Amino acid sequence: MPKVTIDDLTIDVPAGTTVIQAAEKLGIYIPRYCYHPGLSIAGSCRMCLVEIEKAPKLQIACYTFVTEGMIVRTTTEKVIVARQAILEFLLANHPLDCPVCDQAGECKLQEFYMQFGQYDSTLLENKLKKHKAMPIGPHIMLDSERCILCSRCVRFVDEVSKTHELGIFNRGDHSELLPVKGVTVDNPYSGCLADVCPVGALTDRDFRFKVRVWYLDKTESVCHGCSRGCNIEIHANRRRSHHNDGKLVARLKPRFNGEVNGHWMCDAGRYSYKRFESEDRLLQPLVRLTGKGQEKADWTLALSQVDEQVTHQIGRTGVAAAAVIATPDLSNEELYAVRRLFMQGMKIEKIAHRCPADPNGVEDNLLRKSDTFANTYGAGLIIGAPHTADPTVETILEAAGAGKLKTLFIVGDGLLSRYSADVLREKLKNVETLITIQTHGSVLTELATVALPMTTFAETDGTICNSEGRVQHFDQAIPPVGQSRPLLEMLVDLANRWELKAAPRLPESCFAELAGNVEYFSGLTYSKIGDAGVNPSRRSAATATA
Amino acid sequence: MGTVRVINVSERRRVLTFWERIYLPEVWRGLVLTARHFFVNLWRHTLRLFGVKSALPGAATYQYPEVRRPQSPRLRTLHRLAKRPDGTPRCVACMMCETVCPAFCIKIVAEEVDDPNIEKRPKSFDIDIGRCVFCGFCVEACPEDAIRMDTGITEIGALSREGMVLNIDTLLSLPPKSERGDKPVDFLQQQLVQ
Amino acid sequence: MSAGMEIGAAVGKTIFIVMFALSLGGLLTWVERKQSAVMQDRIGANRASILGFRVWGLFHIIADAVKMFTKEDFVPDTPHKFIHALAPVLSIFFALLSFAVIPFGSSIVIAGQSIGLQVADVNVGILFIFAMMSVAVYGVVLAGWSSNNNYSLLGGVRATAQMISYEITFGLTLVGVIMIFQTLSLQEIVRAQGGLLFGFLPMWGVFLQPLGFLLFMTAAIAETKRIPFDIPEGESEIIGFFLEYSSMKFGMFMFADFIEQILVASMVTTFFFGGWQVPYLGDGGFVFPWGSTIDMNTWLVESLRVISFVLKVSFFCWLQMLIRWTLPRFRFDQLMNLGWKILLPLSLANALVTAIIVLWIGR
Repeated sequence: MPKVTIDDLTIDVPAGTTVIQAAEKLGIYIPRYCYHPGLSIAGSCRMCLVEIEKAPKLQIACYTFVTEGMIVRTTTEKVIVARQAILEFLLANHPLDCPVCDQAGECKLQEFYMQFGQYDSTLLENKLKKHKAMPIGPHIMLDSERCILCSRCVRFVDEVSKTHELGIFNRGDHSELLPVKGVTVDNPYSGCLADVCPVGALTDRDFRFKVRVWYLDKTESVCHGCSRGCNIEIHANRRRSHHNDGKLVARLKPRFNGEVNGHWMCDAGRYSYKRFESEDRLLQPLVRLTGKGQEKADWTLALSQVDEQVTHQIGRTGVAAAAVIATPDLSNEELYAVRRLFMQGMKIEKIAHRCPADPNGVEDNLLRKSDTFANTYGAGLIIGAPHTADPTVETILEAAGAGKLKTLFIVGDGLLSRYSADVLREKLKNVETLITIQTHGSVLTELATVALPMTTFAETDGTICNSEGRVQHFDQAIPPVGQSRPLLEMLVDLANRWELKAAPRLPESCFAELAGNVEYFSGLTYSKIGDAGVNPSRRSAATATA
Repeated sequence: MGTVRVINVSERRRVLTFWERIYLPEVWRGLVLTARHFFVNLWRHTLRLFGVKSALPGAATYQYPEVRRPQSPRLRTLHRLAKRPDGTPRCVACMMCETVCPAFCIKIVAEEVDDPNIEKRPKSFDIDIGRCVFCGFCVEACPEDAIRMDTGITEIGALSREGMVLNIDTLLSLPPKSERGDKPVDFLQQQLVQ
Repeated sequence: MSAGMEIGAAVGKTIFIVMFALSLGGLLTWVERKQSAVMQDRIGANRASILGFRVWGLFHIIADAVKMFTKEDFVPDTPHKFIHALAPVLSIFFALLSFAVIPFGSSIVIAGQSIGLQVADVNVGILFIFAMMSVAVYGVVLAGWSSNNNYSLLGGVRATAQMISYEITFGLTLVGVIMIFQTLSLQEIVRAQGGLLFGFLPMWGVFLQPLGFLLFMTAAIAETKRIPFDIPEGESEIIGFFLEYSSMKFGMFMFADFIEQILVASMVTTFFFGGWQVPYLGDGGFVFPWGSTIDMNTWLVESLRVISFVLKVSFFCWLQMLIRWTLPRFRFDQLMNLGWKILLPLSLANALVTAIIVLWIGR
């Protein structure tokens, strides 16, 4: 364990640690462009030059390994002057089109120039013209004038996505980042290129000119695209409604979690934010009154209709002819609330969560999982475990198609990815009272007696368990869209009408009750889950081995 | 180095003399002062009434709608958007002005341009003059020198709140004072025509 | 003198004095704006025009009148609507009534009949004026009270306190004049001021009662409730008794102010500046102290006397304007201090000293 002193702070680090990593452990940030903790080391930008005692020249912190007794200084005048010179060099051909650049505001060139810039330019030569505004793939826009040739992106496509689309061509100051001839950058992780690029050379086409980054509020969340549960940030434009085409959520960004997704996320997840405020969001309850078609209704009418219709139907055909489908895209709290009200309150036996595999699910070695439900693991624990019958969704739908079910609750949007509209229409035609609680309008809401709009994961708090059983928490990023309400709230209202006990209205209290009732979650709270999540299955495995 | 000077207000109060406290001499002095203004000004008015051009004016006022006070070249007047030589707006919708605006009166929506050397331009650019505080931060912040406050227009009015919102077409159409000269712009008229 | 002639003369004189007060009052609204403007290096009202003629803004008098008459007559939700309407009438009525005893000339002889140029030659003229001015307080009080508004009421109370306080000084200062001239009739007082002091100085009240004049002027301005004594109104901030008045009712209050101003000017002229007297002008023409004389006929003399009266009144109107646009407003405590602790003792002393001197000379 070499002992290293950086800016008068001393730390013991394992052998093989670089100076930049050791400094990070001490809370010292050394400016860098080409160094990225998720990629191999290039050492090309020279921004991380530091002064090391007994070394004749400044050394790059990213590729200098610590040795015993090494003394490093990162803020000496020599270092600062070196940084100024490097920045001047990097900016020699940079077009300085910050006003039109989407990276402005989160651009490392801007940030470091503000700190260490030379301000008085000594350059007399004209800048080189290179390719501008060049779409190199479905998601990525290249501006090679802005590129500082750090090669992060080249290393990303070589090492992470392993698709090798990008390269640096030509020599000297004519060096230019370009895609390999005839290749488009359309790998499933291409959105990460905009993240790794420290400047505005690679930007997101989807985010292009939508909203300036400093207008965005960042909320920590977890992607619901598949059972990987990548940690993400939701960037929402909550304050200036005329930007971002009037939408709230502007983009999703991966959030580092070494246990789950590292620095990355897939494109499918990245662009799934459009679902939050898409055209087909169910904005208002829909009610089918007897003798009339489906109409928009307010919440009072919708809930009273659910109350009347369900009470009437169950009174006529009994609880045995009632069933609930709760798809595993719901959070643990929501699933628990379903279990509390329908299973324990209304004594409905048939509560199904197990769906057939997603025909469109893709699995690869990096992040993507074929199970496109975010919370299959949690649903098994919460809905599946206490069940004696534990029917699958398939059997429920069969029973419904055979006319054995008269009352059916469908909570969550999961069925739509598994069954075609025609199949669903056929299976559900004999259900007399169909209550759907969904985020989006679909064939299910069309068929519904009462369709209640529910919030998506961006609009409410909650936890989900990824495929490894890791419990991860996501925060509310935006207010509920339209008149949609959190599932917990509407189940409490329904329970009050039926004079039954429901799960608490607030997700945090609901999770507390869940933790008391389901062994897997025992001892957990939101604060214990924290930003990175915890995995109780490992804990139990650890205790088992102990 | 600036040091804070502490002034005790009670110490600054001057003790009045006997004649000042009597008040009547002071009243008399005041009356003499105002009466002198009255008679001098009346005399000057009379002289000018009878065509004595050399007489000083009897009043310091400007006869406003007909005669306007000269504007300082630095005066911050109504905004305009500058154009490129080809007539397109210089503005690239960088949102600097919108961000810096303390009154939140600027609303810009950006759009993409095919020309890769321009890339971005404002699709709409609204300034709510009713909210504007004429601080000039937008002009300071603009990296393209696109928004300027040199129209010389100070009379701004409309018959509704919506009328006070200037859109991109109006802002682009306004000429700078240097081009317009002293020809007044009936701003309200322009707004009504829209 | 025939009854018809007497009635005709009375009507004529009444019309003259009322028209004089009203037209001068109207003119004062213009003078107020124009004079203040010239004093402050401004131009003042000059926009109203008829067929392009502006005449230095004189048409603003008409414009103001049209405005006042055509504005909405807003009446507050008050149970005293009649009193609310009555108050401005009282204000202006008693101010005008006081003019009845003001002599604006000596007398003229028509068809062998001598007609005194004064509507009513009452031998208690001063008391009559005091009575009228005391009753004028009611207009203010009733306006404040009937408006059903706390601010109006407070304004009315302030006005009452101020007017009652200053009326004492107002009356006491005239005691000196009465003692000197030994009469309460205004016409007699004016005639008495026709003599000469030391052979060259007109025997005007101001020379006999200089302190009395200052005190009277101060108290009189306070009576008119104008700056620096405009605490009852305080248009710019403290708002007063006519808060709930609009249209011509408000206009009447404003106009009563101007009428009172003319009344004060008339009284100052009458008591202290020889009324209609022209220095050295006797009934037969000028008799100068150095001996030379200019003979004139009676009509010319009477005309000069009326013109002299009008000019003197105009001057004092101008002087009041000058004061109004020069001095800042008193605080209420300063106002009361001035009234009770300074003006009242001074006027008492003035009366005492005058009495001693009058007795001493008379002995």
